[in-house]
Amino acid sequence: MATTAPSAPSTSRRQPTRRSRWWLEVGWKYPLAVLIIFYAAFPLVFVLSASLDEGGNLRGTESLFSSISFENYANLNDTLFWTWVGNTLIIGAAAAVGAVLMGACAAYAFSRFRFQGRRFSLTGLLILQMFPQTVAFVAVFLLLLALGEVVPSLGIDSKIALICVYWGTALGANTFLMYGFFNSIPSEMDEAAKIDGATHAQIFWKLIMPLVTPILAVVGLLAFVAAFGDFILAKIILVSNDNWTLAIGMYAWVSDQLTARWGIFSAGTVIAALPVLVLFLTLQRYIVGGLTSGSVKG
Amino acid sequence: MSTETATPVTRPEAPARSWRGLGWGFLVKLLLMMIVNAVGLSIIMSAWAVEAWAVLAASALLLVAANWVYFARRTLPLKYIFPGLVFLLIFQVFVMGYTAYVATTNYGAGHNVDKGQAIDAALINAERRVEDSATYPLTVVRDGDTIGFAVTSASGAVQVGTEEEPLAAVDGATADGSGRPTEVPGWEVVSLNELLSDQALAQEVTQLRVPVSDEADEGSLRTREGSTAAVYRSSLTWDEEADALVDSDSGVTYTANEYGTFVGDDGSTLPVGYRVGIGAENFVKAVTDPDLAAPLLKVAAWTFAFAFLTVATSFLLGLFFALIYNDDRLKGKKTLRTLFILPYAFPAFLTALLWRGMLNAEFGVINDWFFFGANINWLGDPWLAKFSILFVNLWLSYPYWFLVCTGALQSLPSETTEAAKIDGAGRWRQFRSITFPLLMVSTAPLAIASFAFNFNNFTIIYMLTNGGPRFTDTSVPLGSTDILITAIYQISGVAGGRADYGLASALSIVVFVVVGIVSAIAFRQTKKLEEF
Amino acid sequence: MRNTIGKVVIAATSVALLAACSSGTTDDEPSDAMSEEPTPAASETSDAIDATGLSLTIWVDENREPAVAAAAETFMEETGATVELVQKNFEDIRADFLAQVPTGEGPDITIGAHDWLGALIEGGVVNTVDLGENASSFAQVAVDAMTYDGQLYGMPYSTETIALIQNTDLVGEDAPATWDDMIQAGIDSGADRPFCINTNGETGDGYTMYPFQTSFGAPVFVQENGSYTSEVGMGGEAGEAFATWLGENGEKGEGYISTTVDYDINNQLFNSGECAYTIQGPWALGSFTDVNFTVNPVPSAGGETASPFVGVQGFYVSSQSENALLANTFLTNYVATPEAMQALYDADPRLPAFEGVDTASAPYPDAIAGFQASAEGGVPMPSIPEMGSVWDFWNAAESAIIKGADPVETWNKMITDLTASLEG
Repeated sequence: MATTAPSAPSTSRRQPTRRSRWWLEVGWKYPLAVLIIFYAAFPLVFVLSASLDEGGNLRGTESLFSSISFENYANLNDTLFWTWVGNTLIIGAAAAVGAVLMGACAAYAFSRFRFQGRRFSLTGLLILQMFPQTVAFVAVFLLLLALGEVVPSLGIDSKIALICVYWGTALGANTFLMYGFFNSIPSEMDEAAKIDGATHAQIFWKLIMPLVTPILAVVGLLAFVAAFGDFILAKIILVSNDNWTLAIGMYAWVSDQLTARWGIFSAGTVIAALPVLVLFLTLQRYIVGGLTSGSVKG
Repeated sequence: MSTETATPVTRPEAPARSWRGLGWGFLVKLLLMMIVNAVGLSIIMSAWAVEAWAVLAASALLLVAANWVYFARRTLPLKYIFPGLVFLLIFQVFVMGYTAYVATTNYGAGHNVDKGQAIDAALINAERRVEDSATYPLTVVRDGDTIGFAVTSASGAVQVGTEEEPLAAVDGATADGSGRPTEVPGWEVVSLNELLSDQALAQEVTQLRVPVSDEADEGSLRTREGSTAAVYRSSLTWDEEADALVDSDSGVTYTANEYGTFVGDDGSTLPVGYRVGIGAENFVKAVTDPDLAAPLLKVAAWTFAFAFLTVATSFLLGLFFALIYNDDRLKGKKTLRTLFILPYAFPAFLTALLWRGMLNAEFGVINDWFFFGANINWLGDPWLAKFSILFVNLWLSYPYWFLVCTGALQSLPSETTEAAKIDGAGRWRQFRSITFPLLMVSTAPLAIASFAFNFNNFTIIYMLTNGGPRFTDTSVPLGSTDILITAIYQISGVAGGRADYGLASALSIVVFVVVGIVSAIAFRQTKKLEEF
Repeated sequence: MRNTIGKVVIAATSVALLAACSSGTTDDEPSDAMSEEPTPAASETSDAIDATGLSLTIWVDENREPAVAAAAETFMEETGATVELVQKNFEDIRADFLAQVPTGEGPDITIGAHDWLGALIEGGVVNTVDLGENASSFAQVAVDAMTYDGQLYGMPYSTETIALIQNTDLVGEDAPATWDDMIQAGIDSGADRPFCINTNGETGDGYTMYPFQTSFGAPVFVQENGSYTSEVGMGGEAGEAFATWLGENGEKGEGYISTTVDYDINNQLFNSGECAYTIQGPWALGSFTDVNFTVNPVPSAGGETASPFVGVQGFYVSSQSENALLANTFLTNYVATPEAMQALYDADPRLPAFEGVDTASAPYPDAIAGFQASAEGGVPMPSIPEMGSVWDFWNAAESAIIKGADPVETWNKMITDLTASLEG
């Protein structure tokens, strides 16, 4: 990282030229960026290399790109990969939308109304998500069995059921996160709107929601990525393989170390990373620079 | 969650506007509530139909609550919290409650089923085929409600018997080429076709035992697939009145003890038991067993350290990058940002496995490329393994913080920093006394949420080290990178070993209570929360 | 989805072709039906069976899915019943079967390994089975493995074991008799490593190391009359001798055995010719595309026969199945047949547990013979429930010894902890 002004001649210290000033203040950031990109991306090069190698494996050895073949990518078509992509997108999107809406509503209530047990509930919500859920699969399974008898679409092997389970964690995980942000919107703005005769619902939807877009984007992203990567709950709930999400389906390719198909797995991963990247790029606009200047309580 | 009456907030409404607002909002609300009620009622009705009383009661309660919340005047905050709360109650609170219930049972290996199923299994285990006995071609026959077996013996004679009546020859019966009786006088022949398509009948047939003779010892015929029969003998019988299993060969009577294990009067036990409530025993064991307590304390300490350090390091690195690259003079910022966040776009379990390969002491690229081929055992040494976990998790999570901090930095009011500049504050002071505190306001909740997430970050530990390297000074199979959630997973025996869901559930509850108390106290201490 | 169906159709047609061939060319088939214990062959009763509307649920892992699907397809065509194949990770099946059968939601039939048997019985989730008319065609060792306390609980279909695989270009075809011979031959060959073995990385792998352990006379459990007792048998002098040997050849000793070698690395080393010998199962042969190899029994390190574990895989029927009759019909009439067993083999070539399966379709027919020879000297993997507790302690101790911990002390500590855990 010692790239600070390497080209600046010694005389420039006394009389900084425009160029060396540029190096000192801005220019050095480019070589550093290269380092960071190396740090971020070099492990992923192995994934790419494995995905292009028919007998690929992920054991990082040095023989990168020893063979280039798109066989693995073509082989994806022989699997249910694209079905899984569809399922994952549906489930992830539903989980994200639900998390954003329910979390925002709850955060608004906690931020704007004063009611009994408010602080207690807030701390409670935060602590709830620290529950170690490893043995909870028994309970989840039985619960869905019971629900499925009454409402078949909420039973085992239903995407809706999985979405509902994810929604169950929406409040615990997100209320606290959004609450702080809601607080940073000055309440004088609501007061003013109220005097203008706006109802609380109008204030929430028309005034507050647009102002908190960045945190909505963050929560949506987190919920989507969580649903995208989860395979513990999904594995219990989604039984038949045309209902699987990418995480379960692709994990099945490699779960048996004796027959692990790392090549096709890597190819799948490279493709599966695209939706998340696209989401990132889309939401980046809202997250970065989406906040109106001065809205943070000083 | 009752509400305070005096919400000064709602009072000053201009009548005219509020009427209009109410009108629209009210219509939408009415429509939504009609849908909710319709769905709720249909759930209640179908719960009634399948006699699922618990579901019925819960959904009725929730439906009444929903109507109260959305039509009463004093429930304003609940109107916003209720939808999330419903899902929270059903899918999280119930799950926790059920885990607490499991913790009071001995559910696990050897106590996996309920009592009836355990007796079934014991009877299955005790029913053996009589050695060297023949297989008979079979046809199921019936006479009204009585089901019988018609078999053709080796000599070609057709015999019929029922549960009550031992096998006896019948005259005038015919059999097909394979030997299966086709016509039996006095009996109606049940075709395989009919047998297999009638689930209730098929179950009755699998349950049916036809004695070979009056001598019970000679065994009885049973069929598994409906077209052949063989002679079986069961040594065990279930005596319902005595609530005991009796072994007719050895004369031993097995009665269930308070742990749901069948113990014979000679002291032997049957392999299958059933699950029963054992009160607080699992909790006592979880807290007092020295084999568990000592390693679990170490694990707990590492869990807190891991969660805290992960958040701290990734936050600082993300912030550092954000500070550097939040610079309008830089070109191609968007591209750079996209490349910086790459690690976040790949599923964590994949990249954890990848790092596991790269950190291999002898063959991994980390040693080869960066340490001149030195044989550093990253995952095999307790401290290096801990370091590796933190390092990999840093790689996984700094992009998130980079993004969040960039957002937060851009939202800082520029006047404050401008003012500080004019005051002549140096960059470091500017950052420390103005930028950083402001940044913390919006990022502290995210940091706390991230802490809570990493506290239960099963994937990274499980995929990278699987908890190893193992503790050498204890007898439980835990290791120095295990965090609480992986330790409980290990103890639960899901992955292999002897399952003990009861104990694992009790540990979950104990850990949760302790963590809850610690966190509650910690939050109470934080001044930030005092402001709420 | 489309592609799955495609595979099923192909598999189904191949079954049909096989059936057609055999009945057309040989006289075996018709004479079978006339044999002295006349039971209906599938084809004969099939017209009579109409189980339309009933459904069988079968759990199967990805590798065996096409094979079971082939058998199921015939069954579905002939009976009208629906077979729902639920694909699961093989490693999840044991726990899920134990947890779900009591709820009534479990499958009617599942694929499984014989060493789960103890746990499944203790959990009360598995029923006994009959092998039907072809009972005598099943390999006795496989049937024995699926037998627990004198009762048969599963229908075996394949066996598997590990063997010594050697690079014929480096060390020729001859099987080394002892460990020392092998190491010497390996060194003489000029290979980078005379021998490599998978230790599953840091985790340790008692399974792959087991033939060497048994060659010191230290079985994991004491055997009585052919079946395992719950008494730990690897303690004492024999076990200490093995531990010492392990330490001597570990990272701090000769270095032939190292915890840096996991499954993939091991195969990579062998496939690149860097290793002269390795120990692997038939499942790894697909990774050895670049070398010429042959398969032999594992040489002895401690003087006695090196006996690898023999595993058996088969079908279990749930004790709570509501379609027990249909499930047994499927197994005895549609799986325990030469055609179905052949289809199972063709889809997933493991050593068949059924006589008469033509192994010529395997990618490495010669290797199969080598593995079969190795299996003959093997011992069944214990299926008692206690076995489940062994792995964690055992693997970790071996890993520690290989890394250089004091062999005897570590080993004895492991025996003490394991015994305590089995009693507690």
